[in-house]
Amino acid sequence: MMRSRTPWVAGLAAVSMLALSACSSNGDTPADASSLTVWVMGDSSANFDTLVAPFTKDTGIAVKTVAVPWDSIDQRFTTAVASGNGPDVLQIGISKLRTFADSGALLPLDETTIADYPNLAADGFIDGVAGDATAIGGEVVSVPWVSDTRVLFYRTDILEENGITAPPTTWDELRADAKVLSDRGVDQYGYYVPQWDSSLPVIMTWGNGGDILTTDQTINFDTPEFEAAVDIYAGLYADGSVPTNADFDQTQGFTSGITPMVISGPYLANAISAAAPELEGKWSVAPVPASVDHTSLLAGSNLSVWGKSGNTEGALKLLDFLSTPETQLAWYAADGQLPTSKAALADPTLLSDPITAVYAAQLADSRLLPLVPSWDGETGKALLDALNSIVLTGADRASTLDTLFQATGDTSVS
Amino acid sequence: MSTTELAPAPPARRRTTPQVRTPKPRGRRLTVLVGAVLGVGALVTAFPFLWMVATSVKPRSESVAYPPQILPKEPTFEYFVQLFQDLDFGRYLVNTLIIVAISMVGLVFMAMAGYGFAKFSFRGREPLFFLVLVTMMIPVQVTMIPTYLILNGMKLTNTLVGVALPSLVTGFSVFLFRQFMTTIPTEILEAARMDGAGEARVFARIILPMSKPILAVQVVLTFIAGWNSFLWPLIIANDERYYTLSVGISLLNQQIASNPSLQMAAATLMVVPILVVFVAFQRFVVQGFALSGLK
Amino acid sequence: MRPRITPYVFIAPATLLLVAFGVLPILVATFVSFTDMNLAGLGDWSRISFVGVDNYSQLFGDAAFWQAMRNTGLFAVFGVPSVIILSLAIALLLNRSGSRFFKALRSFYFVPAITAIVAVSLVWGYLYNTQFGLFNYLLSLVGVGPVQWLSDPTMVKFSVALVAVWRGTGLNIIIFLAALQGVPKEYLEAAELDGASAWRKTVSITIPLLRFAIFFVTITTVIAWLQFFDEPFVLTKGGPLGESTSISLFLFQTGFSASKFGYASAGSVVLFAIIAIITLVQLRARRTDVDY
Repeated sequence: MMRSRTPWVAGLAAVSMLALSACSSNGDTPADASSLTVWVMGDSSANFDTLVAPFTKDTGIAVKTVAVPWDSIDQRFTTAVASGNGPDVLQIGISKLRTFADSGALLPLDETTIADYPNLAADGFIDGVAGDATAIGGEVVSVPWVSDTRVLFYRTDILEENGITAPPTTWDELRADAKVLSDRGVDQYGYYVPQWDSSLPVIMTWGNGGDILTTDQTINFDTPEFEAAVDIYAGLYADGSVPTNADFDQTQGFTSGITPMVISGPYLANAISAAAPELEGKWSVAPVPASVDHTSLLAGSNLSVWGKSGNTEGALKLLDFLSTPETQLAWYAADGQLPTSKAALADPTLLSDPITAVYAAQLADSRLLPLVPSWDGETGKALLDALNSIVLTGADRASTLDTLFQATGDTSVS
Repeated sequence: MSTTELAPAPPARRRTTPQVRTPKPRGRRLTVLVGAVLGVGALVTAFPFLWMVATSVKPRSESVAYPPQILPKEPTFEYFVQLFQDLDFGRYLVNTLIIVAISMVGLVFMAMAGYGFAKFSFRGREPLFFLVLVTMMIPVQVTMIPTYLILNGMKLTNTLVGVALPSLVTGFSVFLFRQFMTTIPTEILEAARMDGAGEARVFARIILPMSKPILAVQVVLTFIAGWNSFLWPLIIANDERYYTLSVGISLLNQQIASNPSLQMAAATLMVVPILVVFVAFQRFVVQGFALSGLK
Repeated sequence: MRPRITPYVFIAPATLLLVAFGVLPILVATFVSFTDMNLAGLGDWSRISFVGVDNYSQLFGDAAFWQAMRNTGLFAVFGVPSVIILSLAIALLLNRSGSRFFKALRSFYFVPAITAIVAVSLVWGYLYNTQFGLFNYLLSLVGVGPVQWLSDPTMVKFSVALVAVWRGTGLNIIIFLAALQGVPKEYLEAAELDGASAWRKTVSITIPLLRFAIFFVTITTVIAWLQFFDEPFVLTKGGPLGESTSISLFLFQTGFSASKFGYASAGSVVLFAIIAIITLVQLRARRTDVDY
């Protein structure tokens, strides 16, 4: 360009731009009954194409998969809402469900709408996420797709070396075991508390038989069960049983043995197998500890239909296909994400792996975080800020918790 | 031209061709010392980059090993292979190159505007230039939705032109051109106009050649911006057909447990072409223009 | 005579594009800052209502906003001079010789500017890591205990700022290198004849002649640091407890992640106003200067 001899660089530039826009503006694909656009999260679009191939064969409906990076779903969804041009079907992480549903862009999936699609009936899915459990403002706008939960990961070898023969089943046991393990030496710990994980104190509260929601569906941390959870949370720090730095790596912590116990999700199992295959057989998983109720976190993704989709019927057919136990098991085999269908989770092949069996059992006893307007941005953040300032900066417990109660008290699920 | 700017030189020898100079011993010793300091600084500066490249060929178990190892013990290229298998790499590459090509059109617009602001005085110059600066001052997240609606109104969503248009012209580059073109002596332009050259000719024959160093910088900058473009390809494209490399690579980023080796391989793959462009253009960056002789 | 229209023809294409994709969206954002727009309002405009200056008063009453303001001020005070001085010094030294060795070094200094942010976060996150990081490993070899680079409330500010300085210098170095080509060699040679030292020539001739470039780098660097976002976002998410949160990151977290567009726009307008005032002051100060 800089060597250009033509005096009309600008004119040329304008012409070439017009030419480019002319040849590339083929516009949106018109909505018709023979194709569907589906947004899936992460890098699984090739697997998804394979998964839906039988669907296309049966129905003649072509499925166009668009992979959306996890980090960018907000921008993608926001602009789609702004213009009204969305996909036909989209995967929604449960933590985003409330925000997305509030936008009014998702098709309500009430009982009459899904009546013709037997696989979409709420009782086919695990209870924690089916039907009313994920209804927003009394309206169901999604069906369960893949699930995720939290279990206790522990290093059998290190626990045994230190005389711990069975994984802790209560939080008090866990705290005592963690103390023993952290006494192994300097820079050794017993357990790891991720400072960004707002579900852990909630799991602890559930374990004590409490809840963070009142009966009229508003947030309430001001309960004895939550206080007991804070005792455990702060106690682990007070004992010196957990690392205090924010940038601790849970995979490295677990594989190196520095933190031989941690509560995490199935993704940690994959990370361990990939990073330290030699540890095979030296670690295991157990249900989350609890004094009353071994309830864990239920997370994962649901599927929704775009309200302005031009092919609602095809979209519902696809949802129905994706909800069959066979499809969900095929997806687990291809992509490693746990099913939400009860029948799929009871599949003998799936349960033959002892670790997956623990996941499946834990899934049956797990709950969603409350679908408040913004858990990650507000309620959960306030919870973590309060607890972390108590354990890390020595903030006064009573007044910090009071501030938390005040800040979150009027947050409602409905 | 490879002249030593600050090294002393016999004044009788005018700068004509690249030449072997005979600096005073003190000056040469100083140059060697400066070279040594810069060399160490360069290694420190580039260390994280070298670490990235090294990690991209480490097996995953090595990349998270402790104590850390600088060099891979058993180098593997499996992550590069995986990238080519998992990503529709060829298509993303073509899209990225098209976007880079379109952005080069913006480069001409920005050079023109820089010249206009630098070498003309006209009504509204100050407020218009401040307007250019204003566009640098607001975070992109705020303007994302209005910009998208404008493109949607222009029916440019789901086109590569729509992808390139919002960042075709940046206040930063117009400002950079203006700052540099201000230093081009006005007498040269006046002399050319006296000889009957039209404005377009003055721009193409005098301004652009005299701006070679900064044009080279801008080519590199434009290339980097186009090459790394992420937000607009992601939002404008309603179809993976229009995804670029950086969008494709961000698909690999799982929520919590990502594979560091794979991500490093992706980052390495992205950065190599930029490095090639930089090395190719950097000789223009430090190529002096025959300015002094005209004064 | 030159026709009066000429300058407008030159600036028109770029200016029109900047108005369409820069100025217009800013005006929209200003308008949005007086509303309660969220995701629901975006899809259905009848669900948006005017709230006057509520967003602004809420913002000024937000302790986290003031914490982010203080942090941003600290980042800028540390970062701006560091970037400018380092990049100018390195450019001057690199320009000392045209040998192959010096040319090769340029690429090394430019490398941080082109390293993808995901790699930046992984590599630096790894270097800084308290238990498994290289820095603390090296410290342990000389018997120094672990430093909490990214977890200590004070240290974290310098740790993230250091990464930004590292990333920010490369581009400015090549801008200075380009500008150095405009320094007439005759001046330096004349000074050499008068027996001026290398330092003297640099201070009295080279740096004054670089003032257009220095002015550019200063303005853009100040803007960049006031909009500081990437490094804390990828390294610490603003933590621990907001100690490394910048204004842009605060806006992103409280506004855009939660789709509170009205609130986020109000914050952006405030940030924009601060940047505009600081830039105007710099422009005014510059105007008193003589031309080239």
